[in-house]
Amino acid sequence: MRSEGEVNHAVDKYADTVQRICFCYLKNQADTEDVFQNVFLKYMLSDQRFDNEEHEKAWLLRVAINTCKDQLKSFFHRRMVPLDAIAELETEVSEEQGEVLEAVLSLPGKYKDVIYLHYYEGYSAAEIGKILNKKENTIYSLLSRGRGLLREKLGGDGIDE
Amino acid sequence: MTNKVQEALEQVQAKEALKASTKELLKGERRRRTRVFRHPAVRGTLAAACMALFLILGIGGYSWVQTPVSYVSIDVNPSIELALNRLDRVVSATAYNSEGAEILKELSLKGKRYDVAIDTIVESAAMKPYLAGRDALVFTVASEGNREQGILMQAEHCMRHAGYVSTGVSADLALVSAAHDSGLSLGKYYAYLQLSVYDETVTPDSCKDMSMSEIHGMIEEHQHGGGHSEEGNGWHHGRPAMPEESYEQKEPKGHHGRGCHHE
Repeated sequence: MRSEGEVNHAVDKYADTVQRICFCYLKNQADTEDVFQNVFLKYMLSDQRFDNEEHEKAWLLRVAINTCKDQLKSFFHRRMVPLDAIAELETEVSEEQGEVLEAVLSLPGKYKDVIYLHYYEGYSAAEIGKILNKKENTIYSLLSRGRGLLREKLGGDGIDE
Repeated sequence: MTNKVQEALEQVQAKEALKASTKELLKGERRRRTRVFRHPAVRGTLAAACMALFLILGIGGYSWVQTPVSYVSIDVNPSIELALNRLDRVVSATAYNSEGAEILKELSLKGKRYDVAIDTIVESAAMKPYLAGRDALVFTVASEGNREQGILMQAEHCMRHAGYVSTGVSADLALVSAAHDSGLSLGKYYAYLQLSVYDETVTPDSCKDMSMSEIHGMIEEHQHGGGHSEEGNGWHHGRPAMPEESYEQKEPKGHHGRGCHHE
């Protein structure tokens, strides 16, 4: 079991990262809290040793994505629409940002994580493949299709290749 | 990468309250999981205590099963002694002369019930020549808790099935160690003690290479003032008084059973 200091440091450092994954998948605060706490509980109990911070972050991302998927399969998962999730955000969101977030949240699940990992976290297709345990070609295909869907929703603005 | 997706997602941040409640929850979970029984030292001690108990029970059980409480000495000329545990199983089979060693060489008796072991010895090819003549076959039994008679009865049953004449003697358990110290089986030592009543010059060593028939013959001679018994080996009909009771039987030869033991 990891020390209290180590766990608290990880919560401070990776809270936003885990929160974003939860946001993309779950769309509601109650499920997000459950998964958020669960991810850091798994971190606390895990004996996994990390080579560096990148390794640690990738591990947390993978655990967060898997925990979200498990939560979605749960009977108790509460279904919400993207607008509710955006409304629950603590920070002020502009109209334009709200539209983007809504577009991201409305993507099918298989595109959301690759879009997030690529466009926000900056991972390459190969790195995303390792995190999601998928082939690099599959990631390219998901990225391309996800990007296409976002363009359709957002009118092609602001989506870099 | 600066684009709208990144900018929008940047707005998604974990609330401070969520971070604080998560830290608190993890703290409680840590406390719950590291209670006294989960403490490595306590767990180590418990594991060691369990291991010690297991060892004590294991060693105790093994020693309970392996401790001999009864001895069955089978003497013709070959001298063989079976040590039995509380479950009447053979824990050791010892030969006290070369003829006995020759018989045991081919047999595996350890762990068998004594009646099965006796049957196996008596039916072995190496033993047969000694039983074919008129040599005396003597069972001498010493046991804890007055179990001699039961063992002798079963031995008699075995012999009756095999069609051999035998004599049963029950002896004091205290004689066993004295017999072993003298290098004799319990049965032969008992016979030596009987002979020594009449002949003070006789020693355990001198009896070692004598057959039971020879020893009994000498006892008969002394009892009848040097005369020979008409029955040859009928020592049991007039042997000197000994502190232990004996159980005897004589059956006509000829009937060969297929084993006497109760499985």
